[in-house]
Amino acid sequence: MNDKAAICGIGETVYYNRGDSPHTEFQLACMAITAAADDAGIAPDEIDGFVTYSDNRNGPTRLSAALGIQNLRFAATTWPGGGNSVAGAMQIAESAVRAGYANNIVVFRAIAQGQFGRFGQAGGSSGMGGGYMAGGAAFSGPYGLLSPAQRCALRTARFMHDHDISQEALCDIAMACYANAQSNPRALKSGKPLTREQYHASRWIVKPYHLYDCCPENDGAAASIITTAERARDRKNKPAYITGAAQGDGASYSTLTPDDLATSFYTPVAENLWGYTGLEPKDMDVVQFYENFTGAVLIALSEMGFAPPEGIEEFVSGGALVGPEAKLPFNTSGGNLAEAYIHGFQLINESVRQIRGTSTCQVRNVEHALTVGGPGYAPGSAIVLGASQ
Amino acid sequence: MKRVLGDNWVLPALDDDNRAFFTSGKLVVQQCSQCEKFQHAPEDICQSCQSFELHNFESQGQGKVESVAVVDHAIHPSLKDKVPYAIVAVSVDDAPGVLIVGNVIGKAPDDIRIGDNVSVVFEEVDDERSGERLTIPQWQAVQ
Repeated sequence: MNDKAAICGIGETVYYNRGDSPHTEFQLACMAITAAADDAGIAPDEIDGFVTYSDNRNGPTRLSAALGIQNLRFAATTWPGGGNSVAGAMQIAESAVRAGYANNIVVFRAIAQGQFGRFGQAGGSSGMGGGYMAGGAAFSGPYGLLSPAQRCALRTARFMHDHDISQEALCDIAMACYANAQSNPRALKSGKPLTREQYHASRWIVKPYHLYDCCPENDGAAASIITTAERARDRKNKPAYITGAAQGDGASYSTLTPDDLATSFYTPVAENLWGYTGLEPKDMDVVQFYENFTGAVLIALSEMGFAPPEGIEEFVSGGALVGPEAKLPFNTSGGNLAEAYIHGFQLINESVRQIRGTSTCQVRNVEHALTVGGPGYAPGSAIVLGASQ
Repeated sequence: MKRVLGDNWVLPALDDDNRAFFTSGKLVVQQCSQCEKFQHAPEDICQSCQSFELHNFESQGQGKVESVAVVDHAIHPSLKDKVPYAIVAVSVDDAPGVLIVGNVIGKAPDDIRIGDNVSVVFEEVDDERSGERLTIPQWQAVQ
């Protein structure tokens, strides 16, 4: 077993509004992967493993043929789901590298919705075939409960009710992402700052979510390359060591129950991550939280241990998440809301930049950078990167 | 009663797990015959004691709104004239431990509050595919 794994290369495409990519999804995947290889200082054909998540359409055999890889030694994906598993995919790659099964594993996500239709559209690719909904959806679809926003809204509404949280707390999450995106030229919302007035004036999608509480749908691709710590030290960029990663689920989380209604599913992730790493929230110098919906992030912040639920509104208020000098530097590239929604993989790359010291919203002296996957769906996942081994 | 979201809105695809819930004319919750715990949606195994001995419990149909989300943005064309509508998660008085998703009639969507008492009512609609008469549980606000 190797001591540690590290991220030695990151890459991404230009990010596009949904449907605007001039490239196919597979081309986007190849662009991000070759950019990550270049950043790592290796040739694409030195890649020997692929890991992905979220029902990725770009398979390992097609990729290895496209990139001229002669010896693909490892391929895996997380179980079906969405951005909840982004750090779970990193955990799989880290495990395989440490076990010695492969030396340069790419973890990536690519999406082109002009080519394939909207990922987030209810009943789109997932089907309301012939006017019927089957399985678990039979108990929700006939009631008009169809979208992730609606599901997360039910959980957020209860969380806000139980802990006397106002709409301003959700607004603070959205405003922090937009503010932090303004210095990031990759960000789709760069040049489009968000005011509190604009937030409140925006239309409701599903109460308690305004338009700005919901992540947009974007096209693009992002990739990281994982190798052993030993190899990473010889590459051209500073290694971002994988201090630890965790997935987590709870026994009652597969169904909607009264006890777990107001959850983001991150309590077990927190236990597993902090237990594995021996670290605590206060050790994190900068954090990236996957925002599918702002309210779900509030719950995740609390469940990850940054503040108790009854104190979470105060914790995020007053610009506490804005800028590199923030009380908690948060979503420093703009996150899903304001950089781009590449199903959270751009958050992994931003954490690497924070470790390297190359973010457009760079926090000083970053020793540990946390990335937390999509809240509200299980199993959740999170990863801590470190500047030292 | 007619359907809250319109008689042309999607129907549940009947199967052995959901047939009683959608056709019995009662509020039916799966219960373990061994440990007597309730669970919803129906599962192949008791999530509390892992027994396969499961049956349908007929509830009296009284419940409480545990959360509510009011949909303003229609995400399907046939819902455009149905918004705003409220989605609720309802706990069942005589089947603790479960939440049932539904809509509420008899109260404006924005007036529905967590803690409101509700009682079950049924949408009735013929399912052409199965040939069965569906009784889809919904919730009536209790004043």
